[in-house]
Formats: sequence, C-alpha cells, structure tokens
Amino acid sequence: MKKFLLLITVLVFQKSISQELFLLTDPASNVPANSLGVNVLQSAFEEKMESGYNYHLMPEVTYGLNRNLMFRASAFVSNRNSQLVTEGGSFMAKYRFYSEDDLNSHFRLAAYGRYSFNNADIHQEQIDIMGHNTGFETGIIATKLIKKVAISATVSFEKAFDNKPNYPFPDDIGDNATNYTLSFGKLMYPKKYTSLKQTNINLMVEFIGQTINENGKSYLDVVPVVQFIFNSQARLDLAYRRELVSSMVRSAPNGVYLNLYYTFFNI
Amino acid sequence: MKTVPKKYILMFALTILYAATSQAQIAKAEIRATGLTCSMCSNAINKQLKSLADVENVEIDLNTNTFTVTLKDNNSLKPSVFKENVEKAGFFIGSLILTVKPEMIKNNDYIIVKGKENSAKELQIQVLDKGYVTDKEFKKLVKFYKNSETFNNNNEADFHIKILN
Repeated sequence: MKKFLLLITVLVFQKSISQELFLLTDPASNVPANSLGVNVLQSAFEEKMESGYNYHLMPEVTYGLNRNLMFRASAFVSNRNSQLVTEGGSFMAKYRFYSEDDLNSHFRLAAYGRYSFNNADIHQEQIDIMGHNTGFETGIIATKLIKKVAISATVSFEKAFDNKPNYPFPDDIGDNATNYTLSFGKLMYPKKYTSLKQTNINLMVEFIGQTINENGKSYLDVVPVVQFIFNSQARLDLAYRRELVSSMVRSAPNGVYLNLYYTFFNI
Repeated sequence: MKTVPKKYILMFALTILYAATSQAQIAKAEIRATGLTCSMCSNAINKQLKSLADVENVEIDLNTNTFTVTLKDNNSLKPSVFKENVEKAGFFIGSLILTVKPEMIKNNDYIIVKGKENSAKELQIQVLDKGYVTDKEFKKLVKFYKNSETFNNNNEADFHIKILN
C-alpha cells in the first residue's frame, strides 16, 4: 500500500519537445507551463560481476510552473536485493534563462539542480544519483534546434554523500565527478504533418560521460533511442545503452530502457 | 444663433451609443509560432489557446506552425493574451495578424505605424512590437522606427500596428 501510494504521488507530479525529448538527458527547454508530464522509465541492465539483470523502475512527474521554471520528482525502485524495493527519490528544478527563437529553430540555455536520496548499497565507482547514490547534481544545458534536428549538451557537477542509514560512501573512491552529455535527435517521420493524431518517430543518439574529479577515472556510454509520439500527447521510448570506454568499476553498464510518457495539459 | 441640425445630434447620440455597446474586438488571430518543429510542441500551444474562455476554435497548420484562432463575439481580448499563452507553452510568436473591427484601433492603445485606416468592415492588422515578431525582424524594426518615441519605449500596454488591407 505504501508503495502504491508513493507510486500514485509520484504519478501525480516529467519531459516535453519532440526531437529534443531525449531519454536520459534534459533539453534546455521546459515542459509547458501548467502542464503535468507523467512517465515511467524501466531499465534492465546486465550484471557484470554476477549473473542476471538489474531491474530499475523509475516513475517521475514533471510540472511546469511557468514558461521558464519546471520541477520534477522521481522515485527509484529496484530489484537489486531480489525483490522490488523503493530505494530512494529525487527532486529537480530547471530554469531556462536564455532563449533565442526563430522560425523553426531555437537556441536555449538552462541551469538545473537535483537532489537525490538513496538507501541502497554502494557497489561501484560510478556516481549516479539517478537511482544509486544519495547526492546532488548541478549543471548547465545548451540546446540548439534547427528544423528537424536537435543537438543538446550538458555539463554538470555531481557529488555523492552517504547512502543513509546503512551505507556510508567509501573513503577510497572519489565522491564527486564532472558529467558531460551530448545528444542528437532527428524527426524521421512524418516528412510532412497532416494532423496532431499522426504518429511521430524520432531517432536519437546520446553520449553520456563521467570523470571522477579526484582520480580522473572515466567512462563514456552511447545510447541509441527510438521514440514514438502518439496523438501529440503520449510518448514511448526504446533504448539500448552500451559502454564505449571505461576506466572505473561499474556493476552493470550495458542494458535496455523502456519509457512511457504522458502529458496532461492545462491542469 | 446657429442651431445644430437635429439629424447631427441624432447621429452623434447614435455614435456614442454604438461606441458604448459594441466592444472593441478581435474576431480572428493568425499566430505563427517560432522555436518549434514538432507536433507535440504545437499541441502544447493548441491546448493553451483552447483553454481560453473567449476562444471558439483553433485551426493548426503543423508544417508552418500557424494557429488560426477564431474568437467569440464581444470579447475584449488584447493582443498580449496571445503572446502570454504561446510563451506559457514554451515558445514565441513569430508573427501575429489580427482581424479586428475598425473601432478597436481607435483606442489609444493602438498606434498605426504603417498603412491607413480605411472603410473596410474588418481590418487586418499586424502587431510589430517586441515579442510579436521574430527577434531578427524586431532588430530591423527598431532601426526603421528609431525616430518613433513610443516604439522604442517597449511599453507593453500599447501596440504598434501595420494595417494590411
């Protein structure tokens, strides 16, 4: 019941602008004011050190307070300990502070901050406050949209704390990192719009990287994404994440994502 | 002493009455939005516009991002309502062309910078202020109207308009 309530709470509080509606990174654009985005991101990652898959369920809600400010709440559910357990949650705020729009194009900048808590065991050098670590992240996003192509880049600082109550952050690994992402998205279908009911298909490629500031250990992943948009209101994302290079300990770097997203306008 | 003919008094009275009863109004708004190319984005603007009480209907050309908004009779909307709502959806106005009753622009809030008032029943006007044209166009307009005191004040309560018909 508690879990159900949490799910509902989270469902009642996520992301919206097609080619730049990336799966793992946020664009500098926000969700529309007074709209509510609800999504459930599921992932299954192959364990490197043991056999089997690591399943994560992340329900999120995103609310646009006004044209420049949005909030998001996320919950982290995982089966790392054989059954589904809610391990933590996260709050983020994003503020768009620059917009240069022209017909069919824009350049936007935004700043964001996120705080997450998590009670899971700490089992890797990679710092990930989206489901693994307690900590905060703050960064800057730049997004350029030119006709059917969107390019977005993020640079952020991420710091991990103890995963209270049982798992203090290990002293022998770096607790803060610099993250960088580069994402490309392209509208593939339709070539010409006929109605709002038409299904849109976007193809995306995201590069996600991290460097632990203390020792320079790094990784870089590539994430190809296929995205379907139905009725200009609902979204389905399918993605595969693969490690390209890494010099750090990661427990499950390769896996798949399934994301379902729905927007409620004018609430 | 010269007396004012009765028919002029009557005409004057009727004019006053007409001005008092008929609301200055916008019949239709054609909005071209900027900064978007996706249908989900268009839908955000669509829903935002449809949420307005005075909006009768919204037609969308998704390929040009043009929204034709038909408004209810006797509304008292100002051009700013379209700017506010497009921006709420996360985008901007690239051009705003309004179909209005000629009385509307007699109001002091409207300053004609191009075109002339004429006898047409409905006027087509374009708003040229900041936020109602693309940034590039606005830069050009600022240069062009550098001698206009009001244009460069960027007062949000007044609207500089071009009469198109």
